Amino acid sequence: MPTPNDGGYVNYFEILELEPDAKPGEVRKSYRTKMKNLVAEIAAVEITEERRAKYLLEMAKLNAGLFLLRETELRDTYWRDRKELIDLELEWCRAAEAGGDTNELRKSYDAHVRSFLSRYVEDAMLAGGRDKECVETSHWDAAHERHASRILRHYRNGLYQQILERLPYADVTKPNIDWTERQKFAGSVLAQGAN
Amino acid sequence: MFFGKKNTAAAPKIVNQELTTKSLAKTVAEGDFVNFRLLFQAFSPARPNSSERFEDSKYSYLLPDADLESKPEFRTALTQVRADATWQHIQRELDANRPAQLPAELVIAVADNAVRLGKYTIASQAYELLRIRRRMQDEFFAQAEKALDDDNVRRAVHGYLVATGLEYNYAAFPEPLPLVADWQTKALMLHGVYPQSAEDCIPLQQPEQFLRTALTYLLLDPNAAARLESRSIQTRLAFLAELIKQRDPNWRDFVHRYREACGLMRDFEARIQHAIAERGGARVSLAREIEEMAGEDPHKIPATLLGRTIENGEWWQYLKEIAYTHPASALFVSRQIIGETEIIVPRYRGDSPVPFAVGLLPATATT
Repeated sequence: MPTPNDGGYVNYFEILELEPDAKPGEVRKSYRTKMKNLVAEIAAVEITEERRAKYLLEMAKLNAGLFLLRETELRDTYWRDRKELIDLELEWCRAAEAGGDTNELRKSYDAHVRSFLSRYVEDAMLAGGRDKECVETSHWDAAHERHASRILRHYRNGLYQQILERLPYADVTKPNIDWTERQKFAGSVLAQGAN
Repeated sequence: MFFGKKNTAAAPKIVNQELTTKSLAKTVAEGDFVNFRLLFQAFSPARPNSSERFEDSKYSYLLPDADLESKPEFRTALTQVRADATWQHIQRELDANRPAQLPAELVIAVADNAVRLGKYTIASQAYELLRIRRRMQDEFFAQAEKALDDDNVRRAVHGYLVATGLEYNYAAFPEPLPLVADWQTKALMLHGVYPQSAEDCIPLQQPEQFLRTALTYLLLDPNAAARLESRSIQTRLAFLAELIKQRDPNWRDFVHRYREACGLMRDFEARIQHAIAERGGARVSLAREIEEMAGEDPHKIPATLLGRTIENGEWWQYLKEIAYTHPASALFVSRQIIGETEIIVPRYRGDSPVPFAVGLLPATATT
């Protein structure tokens, strides 16, 4: 029987290394410490394109963490939406395993997961970057935002792929992959090209 | 029957199953994932509840011609479509009034045939749907690296091309898409900043740095290029030369034009030397001298590189077009301001093995 799996559903408590009942003061304290360390690390290394992308994403995650968790209402909504989504995934997986028609559940889950990732990954990260408190600590500006939009989209879709890996197959039947045969296929393609 | 109602109901549609089978087999044999999916759409002529029919001439493109039907790959695909379990699934999905669930065994066959035919972006979509794209990429990378260990550069390059061809762009908007080779854009990014010194000029980079730039650009993926970092410079040189050849089968055409453009540059240089001597050794800028020597039309150089003149063409128009037709060409040119005009000119390091290895210069050429 499938068990709940929260991989891919971004957890800002984990990012800020906090317990889900952390107080706003603890959120701020953890955010400032982590951001300070990150800024110091950035200043100490040579910035390549790859590192820039990595650091921008780290900054954006911390900003979104503070933005969502320091206010009770926003935090509760985020945590509830996340839990609902995890429950919905579990419900769909169980229904699929039982062999029933899961088309409606699939559609409902798909709409929820897209909305969750859009709201709590891209939107929250960009909104966090415009927040006064975040700007003061992280020095996030318009140039960061311009660079970040592509990186955040990539991150969001990466999370979606991570979730997708464990979901029931819907658009296609579950493939029965023989990796020894796949290896032979790759070899035959390269042999064909090398001749 | 005087007072009866007129029967206006259309006759129930009967789908010719033989045509459904053949059209599916055609898409499988041709690695055509677009039409494969089309055949399962709500409006598909293969669906009994759609008003579209295979017999309409507009759908003739979905059906195989006699030539294709005689090919072994089509017959194999036909056997795969007709396999009992697969065919039953297909019929069930086409009859159901909902989005179809594609049969995985045929999706794999479509993807594999697309790879065999070099349609990597199509294959990547099919593998992505099956959730095996990354692992297929890893398989091709692994076999390519083994080929490189065995000094089989041709096979290794082919493996890298397939593996990188299966890459996905998760940052694409609004949905992830297969990564496409947009040389015309990538070349502009390479030359986005005007070179202020020799180090800024890509063709004049040290061989080690140049190889890194060139492999990243031509493989479209810094991670794929990074896999080659540990190889010797000779191996990477041979890899680059083969990569250029496999990416661009018409590379020799560019080489001829490049040498011609280099000839023009050498003429200018000779005239500059002459002018310097005549002025009693007073040093003047290269750009100034080229401006004088090239006269009113410095576009002769980029036009030679491209093989045609673009009317009022800017440097970036020439760059985009040569990069589109010969991707690697962007690595051996640089921007140059001559008077009021900016053009692209051929450039290479005479002390670097790169231009010789890729065939741009004959082995006896000098700077």
